[in-house]
Amino acid sequence: MKKILLAAAAILALSGVAQAQDTVRIATEGAYAPWNFLDDAGKPAGYEIDLANAICAKAGFTCEILTNEWDSIIPNLVAGNYDVIMAGMSVTDERKQTVDFADEYKPVDPSRFVALPNAGIDFAALKGKRVGAQGGTIQEGYAQEHFAADNTVVAFGTADQAMADLAAGNLDIILADGAYLEPIVATGQVEFVGEPVEIGGGVAPALRKDEGELKGKINEALTALKADGTVDTLIAKWFDGAGPFYKK
Amino acid sequence: MFDFLPQWMRDGLGDDVLFWLGYLTNGKHLTWYASLQFTVFAAVFGSLLAVTFGLLGATLKNSTFPPARLIGTIYASIVRGVPDVLFFIFFPLAFEQSVEWVMASQVCTPETLAAQSAAWPPCKEANWLLSTPEYLVMASVSLGIIYGAFATNVIHGALRAVPKGQLEAARAYGMSASQVLWRIHIRQMWVYALPGLSNVWMLIIKATSLLSLLQIADIVLWADRLGAPNFLKSVGLVHDDWRWRYYLVLFVFYILVTLVSEKGFNVLMRWAGRGILDESRR
Repeated sequence: MKKILLAAAAILALSGVAQAQDTVRIATEGAYAPWNFLDDAGKPAGYEIDLANAICAKAGFTCEILTNEWDSIIPNLVAGNYDVIMAGMSVTDERKQTVDFADEYKPVDPSRFVALPNAGIDFAALKGKRVGAQGGTIQEGYAQEHFAADNTVVAFGTADQAMADLAAGNLDIILADGAYLEPIVATGQVEFVGEPVEIGGGVAPALRKDEGELKGKINEALTALKADGTVDTLIAKWFDGAGPFYKK
Repeated sequence: MFDFLPQWMRDGLGDDVLFWLGYLTNGKHLTWYASLQFTVFAAVFGSLLAVTFGLLGATLKNSTFPPARLIGTIYASIVRGVPDVLFFIFFPLAFEQSVEWVMASQVCTPETLAAQSAAWPPCKEANWLLSTPEYLVMASVSLGIIYGAFATNVIHGALRAVPKGQLEAARAYGMSASQVLWRIHIRQMWVYALPGLSNVWMLIIKATSLLSLLQIADIVLWADRLGAPNFLKSVGLVHDDWRWRYYLVLFVFYILVTLVSEKGFNVLMRWAGRGILDESRR
């Protein structure tokens, strides 16, 4: 019995190694438009998917893009289910303790508050309000730190679920990434309130800590793509003409 | 999408109907419909395993050998007591890590062990990549183990419900022990077991909605994704929170499965009861 188990394990190990060498597996969330989302065909699309494909073409990798729920996206990277995360993830000191970041591909973007139109939110005396954010994000961390004492902070699985609850009147304000909120505010369903807050660093691909070689190749490709304007073009395409940020 | 239809048909349907037909048959929705295969696979494979484990468990519980009886009893009582969600996430994780642990003792060298910075797996070579097919098999095995414990009790009870006279008569005819077991005892047991097993089947169907816990993009996860509000034209149709509509579809789907299952079990019941008991031939 033990021999059979070992043989099975060896076969699995060999096939696992073969897979790991051939392809770079890139995980995204698939629920954070325009960074990453599932298009009408049900396939991942968005800024990060275009950029990931450009990086892979530049670096000569064969890439596989897969989706993973946000709340388990770092644990599953560390466990080895995939090699890179590109999911609108900001660089923070806290995350750096668990994972390694390559160079940023979108500069720091202030986080903003939104509320329903004419909600009359008074930020000077924010008390007894329900503040929503996506769980495990820098915005949730900020909300817990600054508002949890006098208000209720509610964490959601995806940012869209938080928006749905705001629309349904279950929340008073939402704190989220500005680039995610802008197109929603443009529809007129919600409006910006209060001042933008600077939390965390730019957005960058996350890798396991022992992947120095892969990180080097990704950085090389990103530097080249920033220099030839590809990154700026993609940012302008997906973020309503924003930028340019990187081309000198 | 529907340009292939003749003009008169498109005129007859109208732009609204054509639009919704197109929306409901876009790639996202087609993937949703196709994800039904995961639910069906887990339900069918899981229940086959559950019946197998149930037969094994009941045989152990009925055994005259005390340690075997103990194992059967422990299996049925412990697994039935553990919440299925807990077992559902525990078993695949535990299995994956034990495989990696066994693998590590074979493929890891001191150098690769030292090079590994993460706490798990022990070395990179001992990493087992799991994707949907592996998770699906593990989910089905988990379902088999959990509901096999329920099936154990059902089958154990059904085996005891077969009239002793039938077995005595079989022995009197000179049948061997295994002939009595298979031709008389298990053959007649189904009539008593099927009502209970139909409950177990319904429980398994309901538990298949847990598949998304194991990163399987099943019908529940897709309903969630499709129903999430969308604010961007570049992403697709702009709509509010539509989750309740998609959940309603799932609701109706599960009710339909229940109705069809009841008919199916009635057929099975007639098959199992043929030539045995009059009251089973309703």
